[in-house]
Amino acid sequence: MTLPTPSEGEVPLAVNSIGVGDGESMPAEPPNELIYRHQARVRRSLAALWASRDIVYTLAERDIRAQYKQATLGLLWALIFPLAMLGIFTIIFSRTASNGIPGIPYPIFAYIGILCWTFFSGSFGTGGTSLLTNNALMSKTQFPRECFPLESILVTAVNSVLAWIPLVLLFVLYRFVPYPTTAWAPLLILIELAFTIGVTVGVSALIIQMRDLAQVLPIVIMLGLFATPVIWQFKRVPAKWQIVYGFVSPLGPVIDDFRRTMLLGLNPAWGPLLAAIAGAIFYLVLGYRIFKRLEVNFADIA
Amino acid sequence: MPKGGIRVEHVWKKFRADRTAPLFYDQLLRLHRSISQGTRRDYRWVLKDVSLNVEPGGTLGLIGINGSGKTTLLKIISKVTYQSAGLCQSEGRIGALLSVTSGIHPDLTGRENVYLYGAVLGMRRKISHERFDEIVEFAGLTNAIDRQVKFFSLGMQMRLGFSIAAFLEPDILLVDEVLAVGDANFQQKCIQRIEEVVRQGTTLVYVSHDLNSVEATCKQAMWLADAVVRAAGPTREVAALYRSSIQEDASLATSNDGVVRLLKSSIAGPDGGTVLSLEDAEVRMTMNLPESVEADLYVGISLGTAFPIFITKHHGLFPAGDFEVTCRVHNIPLPKGGYSVWTAMTSFGKWADTPLMPWKPVTSFDVFGPDVLNPPEGVMVAAPLYVGTTWNID
Repeated sequence: MTLPTPSEGEVPLAVNSIGVGDGESMPAEPPNELIYRHQARVRRSLAALWASRDIVYTLAERDIRAQYKQATLGLLWALIFPLAMLGIFTIIFSRTASNGIPGIPYPIFAYIGILCWTFFSGSFGTGGTSLLTNNALMSKTQFPRECFPLESILVTAVNSVLAWIPLVLLFVLYRFVPYPTTAWAPLLILIELAFTIGVTVGVSALIIQMRDLAQVLPIVIMLGLFATPVIWQFKRVPAKWQIVYGFVSPLGPVIDDFRRTMLLGLNPAWGPLLAAIAGAIFYLVLGYRIFKRLEVNFADIA
Repeated sequence: MPKGGIRVEHVWKKFRADRTAPLFYDQLLRLHRSISQGTRRDYRWVLKDVSLNVEPGGTLGLIGINGSGKTTLLKIISKVTYQSAGLCQSEGRIGALLSVTSGIHPDLTGRENVYLYGAVLGMRRKISHERFDEIVEFAGLTNAIDRQVKFFSLGMQMRLGFSIAAFLEPDILLVDEVLAVGDANFQQKCIQRIEEVVRQGTTLVYVSHDLNSVEATCKQAMWLADAVVRAAGPTREVAALYRSSIQEDASLATSNDGVVRLLKSSIAGPDGGTVLSLEDAEVRMTMNLPESVEADLYVGISLGTAFPIFITKHHGLFPAGDFEVTCRVHNIPLPKGGYSVWTAMTSFGKWADTPLMPWKPVTSFDVFGPDVLNPPEGVMVAAPLYVGTTWNID
């Protein structure tokens, strides 16, 4: 940005001199060359974000503490929600043989899908509106705004980690031992994380511009639950569409490959998985760019 | 730029005119307007061409009525929001106390909130931990710190918030009108703490409606009115200009409503000349009443605002028609400066519910005499009075 040298229009703040402005000679609009253009450099933004990691932890701690402080069952709720979902799905969908994988207990099959899905939907649901719910804080304090959606994701991640405990119990209950190929899990988790962060960060920035979107979120989440292979097999997607599906919704291949590696001892299906990796990176970059583009007026319209 | 410096050059800021609930229909209307007229004017300027420069360790007070853009300017300096045009630079860590309760979560305890708000204001966890005892002690909340904050009073929350910010030790401290909720003792403590922080080399930008506290803490002041800088310079001069403008606004707003009509008013010194410190002064007013009433007539002297330094009252029977009132103030205890005379008339019985004359400024005047004494740093003078004193040191 270029600036003219300070001219006589400036009010000096020197001791013992008093400048009095009249406001009459003021132009109605600022000259064009003064217009502020917000430029967020990726590297500097990420450095600032890293420097503010304490804030993300502290905000997440705040939410977790506040969430469970007054609930008698406390952290148990993190387990109850996915288990309730599992119970409902098992009762409704396990009768239809075509839903699960033959030979695999349906609850285990479904619970893996539920785990992946609830992490995404939880992050998306709370993170998407995080700028709205933290409105008071955001319009009064200054630190990277990405902290808000990231904090919501972190809270959901903590809850999700707790929700893995019932899976272990299910394995014990059904005397099922996961295959060594489960070692692929970190890659799958990473893909899901990138996808979730990208979508959540981007959507949170859009929602604050257009509040109506906040009403649409629950609908999208409900639709997504059935459009994602949570209760059904990824195989149901026609083979020629699997790559496209993987790119558009990386969760599909992620859930499928969790099941393949953990329950069947197979390697990931590479085609859809690579598409999912590409998709996750695409969402991450797009979401972050949208966020950075729009962040300039967050505090004004919030 | 050295650490602690702030430079703001030709900053403009616009707000969208309707910031709430843009209905779809309104959006369409706006779209139509923007197409048909070519220009979009659905915004207003809240800051126009504001420039300021604060050296490291400097103190700047921002004054002005509500909505004049003070807080927006602070927000721009702290990068909470961004300017629409112009340049705003600052160097060093900024501690911005724009609202004391926004970072505080009601369900958490005071202790948890110290860490939370500290982090939000940019304090590392370790430092919060080290200063924890000092912060709690300063806030005077030693007994309440493990209670949930929702059971704190607003004043207690404010004390907690301010204490955290006061121990941040940033390079630049930005304080918005936040002290108003504290009790008088704590306010004084806050101002002393601000003073201490400033002495350690922190740059201060302070927003307040309380001119006395601005005068106590800031060497420089800037008066914002209607999005533009009306005056900038040494605090006392800017504050004096600001006070006289408040009086003008007040007299415009209240000219001759009420039953009593004020026809003429003046104030004069001993021989009808200028008013002198510790000499008598005479306020003369010509008034008109539709009927004779028994009433109280008040006369007060203020610094221009509606809050008088002192008042006097006369109870009596006022005649119908035109009459003249003289009020002789003995040994007027005011130092040099600009003041104004305010007056009001109230009655009882049938006039109990309608004040005969609302509290309003009638005239302004200058006092000649000794200058206002500068109090020690960090001490607020509630009202400048000049009294004769005799000192004796044995």
